[in-house]
Amino acid sequence: MSVSEKKTRIIEPDSLIGKRIPKMDAPEKASGRTRYIHDINLSGQLYGKILRSGRIHALIKSIDTSAARALPGVHVVITAADIPDQRPIGVARDHFPLKVGRVRSQRDEIAAVAAESEEIAEAALKLIKVVYEDLPVISDPEDAIKPGAALIHPEPHGADGTHLHLKQGTSIAHRGKADNIAMRFDYAHGDVVKGEAESDVVIEDTFRLHYVTHCCMGVSGMIAEFDASGNLLMYSNTQVPFLHKREFAEYLNMDPARIRIIQPPIGGGFGSKLDIYPFEIICLFLARAAKRPVKMLFTREEEFLASPTRQPVLLTLRSGCKKDGTLTFRQVHTLHDNGAYTSWGATTPFVMMQTFSSLYRVPHCDYHTAAVYTNNPYAGSFRGYGNLQATFAIEQHMDMMAEAIGMDSLEFRLKNAQDSGETTGQGMVFKSCGFKDCINTAAQRSDYSRKFKENEANRGKPGNIKHGIGMASMLHVGGGAKIYPSDGCGTILKMDDFANVTLITGASEIGQGSETVLSQLVCEELGLPISAITVVNNDTAITPWDVGVHASRTTFIAGNSAIGAAKKAKAKILAVAAKKYDAAEADLDLRGGFVIKAASGEVVVELSKLLRNLHFQDKAELVMTTFYYEPPSVHQGKDFKGDVSAAYAWASQVVEVEVDTDTGMVRMTKITGAHDVGRVLNRLGIEGQIEGGMVMGQGYALTEDLMIVDGVMRNPNFRDYKLVTAPEIPEMDIAFIESMDGEGPQGAKGVGEAPSICIAAAAANAIRNATGVRMFELPFTPEKVYRALHGQTPKRYWKPWKAE
Amino acid sequence: MTELKHYFAPTSLDQAVECLKDGDVTILAGGTDLTPQSQAGRIRIKRTLMNIRHIPQLSGITLEGREIRIGTLATITEIMEHPLVRQHLPVLVEACNHFASDQIRNAATLGGNICNASPAGDTLIPLLLLDARVELASMPEAKLYRHSMPLATFFVGPGKTRRSLCELLTCVRIPLPGEGHVAHFHKLGTRPALDISTISIGIGGTLREGVLTNVRVAFGAVAPTPVRAARAEQALEGQKLDAAIIDRVAAIARDEVEPIDDVRATAWYRKEMIHNITRRMLTHVAQA
Amino acid sequence: MSLKHDIEFTLNGVKRQASVDVTMNTLAMLRDVIGLTGTKYGCGEGECGACTIQVDGVSLNSCLMFAVDCDGRELTTIEGLANDSKADALREAFVEHGAVQCGFCTPGMIMQADHLLHKHPHADAECVKRGIEGNLCRCTGYKKIVDAIVAAEDGQRTAP
Repeated sequence: MSVSEKKTRIIEPDSLIGKRIPKMDAPEKASGRTRYIHDINLSGQLYGKILRSGRIHALIKSIDTSAARALPGVHVVITAADIPDQRPIGVARDHFPLKVGRVRSQRDEIAAVAAESEEIAEAALKLIKVVYEDLPVISDPEDAIKPGAALIHPEPHGADGTHLHLKQGTSIAHRGKADNIAMRFDYAHGDVVKGEAESDVVIEDTFRLHYVTHCCMGVSGMIAEFDASGNLLMYSNTQVPFLHKREFAEYLNMDPARIRIIQPPIGGGFGSKLDIYPFEIICLFLARAAKRPVKMLFTREEEFLASPTRQPVLLTLRSGCKKDGTLTFRQVHTLHDNGAYTSWGATTPFVMMQTFSSLYRVPHCDYHTAAVYTNNPYAGSFRGYGNLQATFAIEQHMDMMAEAIGMDSLEFRLKNAQDSGETTGQGMVFKSCGFKDCINTAAQRSDYSRKFKENEANRGKPGNIKHGIGMASMLHVGGGAKIYPSDGCGTILKMDDFANVTLITGASEIGQGSETVLSQLVCEELGLPISAITVVNNDTAITPWDVGVHASRTTFIAGNSAIGAAKKAKAKILAVAAKKYDAAEADLDLRGGFVIKAASGEVVVELSKLLRNLHFQDKAELVMTTFYYEPPSVHQGKDFKGDVSAAYAWASQVVEVEVDTDTGMVRMTKITGAHDVGRVLNRLGIEGQIEGGMVMGQGYALTEDLMIVDGVMRNPNFRDYKLVTAPEIPEMDIAFIESMDGEGPQGAKGVGEAPSICIAAAAANAIRNATGVRMFELPFTPEKVYRALHGQTPKRYWKPWKAE
Repeated sequence: MTELKHYFAPTSLDQAVECLKDGDVTILAGGTDLTPQSQAGRIRIKRTLMNIRHIPQLSGITLEGREIRIGTLATITEIMEHPLVRQHLPVLVEACNHFASDQIRNAATLGGNICNASPAGDTLIPLLLLDARVELASMPEAKLYRHSMPLATFFVGPGKTRRSLCELLTCVRIPLPGEGHVAHFHKLGTRPALDISTISIGIGGTLREGVLTNVRVAFGAVAPTPVRAARAEQALEGQKLDAAIIDRVAAIARDEVEPIDDVRATAWYRKEMIHNITRRMLTHVAQA
Repeated sequence: MSLKHDIEFTLNGVKRQASVDVTMNTLAMLRDVIGLTGTKYGCGEGECGACTIQVDGVSLNSCLMFAVDCDGRELTTIEGLANDSKADALREAFVEHGAVQCGFCTPGMIMQADHLLHKHPHADAECVKRGIEGNLCRCTGYKKIVDAIVAAEDGQRTAP
């Protein structure tokens, strides 16, 4: 090397944070090369299919599978009778995967077949004869909760009426339930009687929220294989592999250590894969019995029929305020239609009560939910987790109260909005809080106040197109949610001889871009380009524990975990470099693939060279680190109080609509969103999350409606279950409020769920602004709006039901 | 019940109608409806599946005298992009533009849309306005026999037409609209296309000095078949389009239809929409 | 068992033969008989566009097409766009503009966009939105997909 070439090289500072970094797996996906579960086939694989009830509520008198078993190509046919050790699944353990004695909903699983081909499996299903005795259908939760209502989960009886005496067990599936109440939630802070006494204005309204479902573009599926030693390998779409590994072990009565879950890329999650569903257990039963790999995929119709829904809710809200605009109290009663079995949907009150108690400062709050069994589809978790429902009611009441006291609705909101540093009645501590910034920014960017007044003035003028503008805001967990005793995530990080990093994270990728944002955080720490990293995130045999992808937690929790591992690696590297080059560790840094002098940017050594030196020396070493991050949040007690998340996300969204009074058609023309995201890490990724969420919120507000009539799903297809299509999307203007959360990774907070939460509420306020008519029921389909405009919708009042 | 035994892809019309003689044939054209319906088990494919794609006589859009002939295999995309259709039959272009999606428009055929006989079929309303006739071919003896009938009499019920099992729909013939012809189509839905219409309305006629004659009014999705609205037509015939007549016709139209409740809308809403959209379209015609 | 029929067609530029069930759709043929899994099943009813391919130069839903109807025709799937430089621009635009999240709709979306851009070389956002109205996406809210398609066309137009 000549002397001239040895001149000092300076590496300028650079950062990956806030940049538009393309999703790392996008090139594969855009070439059709990504192998989803649908695209994976194992040699010797059989195909599983499920026979579903079709009846809504009936006793199973007999099942005859003999003809199906005799069909050539059929390996296994199973019913509940073939699985004596079947255990109940679900959040309340009220659900046998294969139904025992009784079916309670249209989707109920009666029998299953594993065969050489899907066609043979389907043909075999048609040969299974089931005799039913129909029972009265309970499809209205208001009926289900009445004293003396027929029971959905009575003490189990056999076909002949005798008690089944299922294997001793204490779950609802074994012993039944004496009423139809699946779950109750009761929360209070302050004294609502006192709050009401102090109020100048009190309003009370009932809101009705409908069924919608996730509609992941990739239908559900899984592949299960037991090896010769009885170890189970599953290819699964789960969003929570580690919790499910343990749960699957319970249902199969086997050692969790012998279960390995591989998660191929998934065609959408949105919360739908947070629970274990009967088809998964049934697929395992089939594989166990067949001693062959079994693959099971839904059809789209089955995906509609047998997937969870968002929780339909009937909600009566009573709110009060003083003339000066101070909120005094909120009292909330909700009736959740739980469907026939209990999944996460029943637990949405965890989130709903936070919004009621803490979005605005409310001194007195009283919250009650009864989730009741019916013969309807059962509800699971879905992006937003109850918050769309809660926000729909609250944010309409904010407008209505402002109107009642003659105050500008923006001023009214700002007066009651939370600030950083506050601790709410529910014990949530707002360390970073950009709520007021969100309100002001959304209002200014959309020209809310001017348009609001103008639209009101134009309401009575001729012409069938009315313009409206409406606002709503939201609070959601943004730093994980400690709903389990641990809310942590583990990371293993290793570097190779060429300064490439392998990030092994517990966090699952469901399309949201976690692999890219985690890579950014690690590369930022280690001064490496994004091309220097490989992410492994889909195999429980390799990856460290994580609680799962939910609660908008991955960037925050897995991000902090990844940074922790990277920091340890960096410390080790700098210590080695300091020793070798006789410098102080504090004077060195990593940048652009080099060890540099922190002050000047002067290159000390190429990082890969340093790592090779470390490796190929007498006392050989590798750089490999691990880190487990547990957020400083609190697992709430029975009173639901405590600081459940390490940070909270805020947003205000303004929706603009055109209402055609001739048809009731509502066109969403623009959404302006101001989101307190802590800090933007990947601008491209976060915009994608917010735009996607907004349009999902648009669908919830305007077009999506899973119609259930007497327990029967009327529209299990994309023809009549109407997702938003490209020509319908509004203009979207997004502003980021960077409140730089002290605990967040590089200051960031979670954002995954936030963008869909406000849309329906803001749209309701906008329709009111346009037409003077207030909508209390979703969705705002043309006919619903038209009826409301013509006074054809009697205002509903649900008198809260109270247990004695 | 017979099982599917033969697949046949004739290359001439003679071969096709010969094959149809036994009456146990399912005809495949674009396949956009037959494929999913048969896969889902809602339609059973008969003894022979006959693919008519390779019959040249069934394609093409041509001017024959004072008539535009559209071959049964013409796809929705071909129709909406064809210069003859664009020049003479803009209302058909308008309806095609609201038809399903680009992928489906590229595959679905006019003959298929007609023979499916959906009450909400998107092309059917403009074809009714345009006095279209359908031509059917068969081979009762040893010779090819063709006859035609007005589209207005072709539909019998949902999925049912007057086409016999031995006949093949070969083309649609549309007389060239005369001087002063106006025609408008409206499909009510929340999406521009890819939507089964809640209702659809077509209004056409000859407009001279504000007076509408030779009136055609047709409605979709309000009856078991697409229908002409005789009373509304009568009320409009020869009238000057002023506010009073428009209101009267809209009310007549509403009372004339007898829709049903389904997953897309209630009968009440459909009647309201027939009224409101008829009024809106007539106002538009009057102002044009 | 089921009735079979032999067909011959061109798939991604290569002539080939297949023996298919007469009732099978083209999507199933591509995925299960031929083993090309880039074309996705989303609904089987032509409502989602995940299975979009091109046949004789136009885009179609492969779930709405009988496999026997491929006889004598020219099919292009997402795999067939691998060596197409115009498609490179489209793929790159999808990546750069963040048009891909879960990615399940992406192959169908790209097949439709490719067809759209051949037909409307100067497509603006409104034209693109109508052009992909038959392709559902649950993740992105479509905006970035529309941006990508419009940008890909800009890139192609300015390319030498």
